Amino acid sequence: MARLFTRQRGAGGGILVHLNELGRSLVLDTAQRVAAAERGEEPAWAALLASPVDPSRADDPIVTLGRQRDMASNAELVVLTVAEDHLSDAEAWAWLSTLQVALRGLADEHAVTDDDALSAAPPDVRERVQSLQTLLFALASCL
Amino acid sequence: MAPHPPEAAQPSVIVEPERSTSTSTVAQHTWDVVVWNDPVTPMSVVVVVFRRIFGYSTGRCTQLMLRVHHEGRAVVWSGRRERAEEYCVRVQVAGLRCTIEVTA
Repeated sequence: MARLFTRQRGAGGGILVHLNELGRSLVLDTAQRVAAAERGEEPAWAALLASPVDPSRADDPIVTLGRQRDMASNAELVVLTVAEDHLSDAEAWAWLSTLQVALRGLADEHAVTDDDALSAAPPDVRERVQSLQTLLFALASCL
Repeated sequence: MAPHPPEAAQPSVIVEPERSTSTSTVAQHTWDVVVWNDPVTPMSVVVVVFRRIFGYSTGRCTQLMLRVHHEGRAVVWSGRRERAEEYCVRVQVAGLRCTIEVTA
């Protein structure tokens, strides 16, 4: 199986991206969806994005805003770098974080709570979950 | 606005030692950062997130990840509330399920 990402050794470091157009378009679409969710345009992902830090009380609004800002910044960085063949470690981290947020959002949206639920999910959802998992697995092996 | 009264003008009866002790105890609570299992996140992603955010060794991150996987949750850091909150937000931004709670 062809590698999707490889760590570049030497002075420059960072991650080389070997994704084809289809892979890049999946990453772009995913990042745009996370960014849209941060703007409140993905109600199905609202619970994920508003997960409390301390369930025993309401979160400090400053903490909530900080989290939203960081998630949105990561997603925007992915959109900006999606065509790149080389990512810095910080950019690769933004990719990993954004793809992971999207994976959890997708799982929550379609009530994928275990392997059985994933097997029973519509084919397009299952394929998307598995594609995101493949990208994440490949990226994590380089970080 | 009235300034603080001088020390000599404060009768000792206004000091409330019990309340003072209680406030101090609350401030000294230790808080746990708890990461929760979810069915879709690749194990290697959890290890990478722990390593990057907490700076632990890969071995320790793997142990914590396995505890999350098998027990449904794991305490990954304990300490002051502000720091716990900061760590929790960073883990959430990385896409994992995470909360904080007072150490039992």
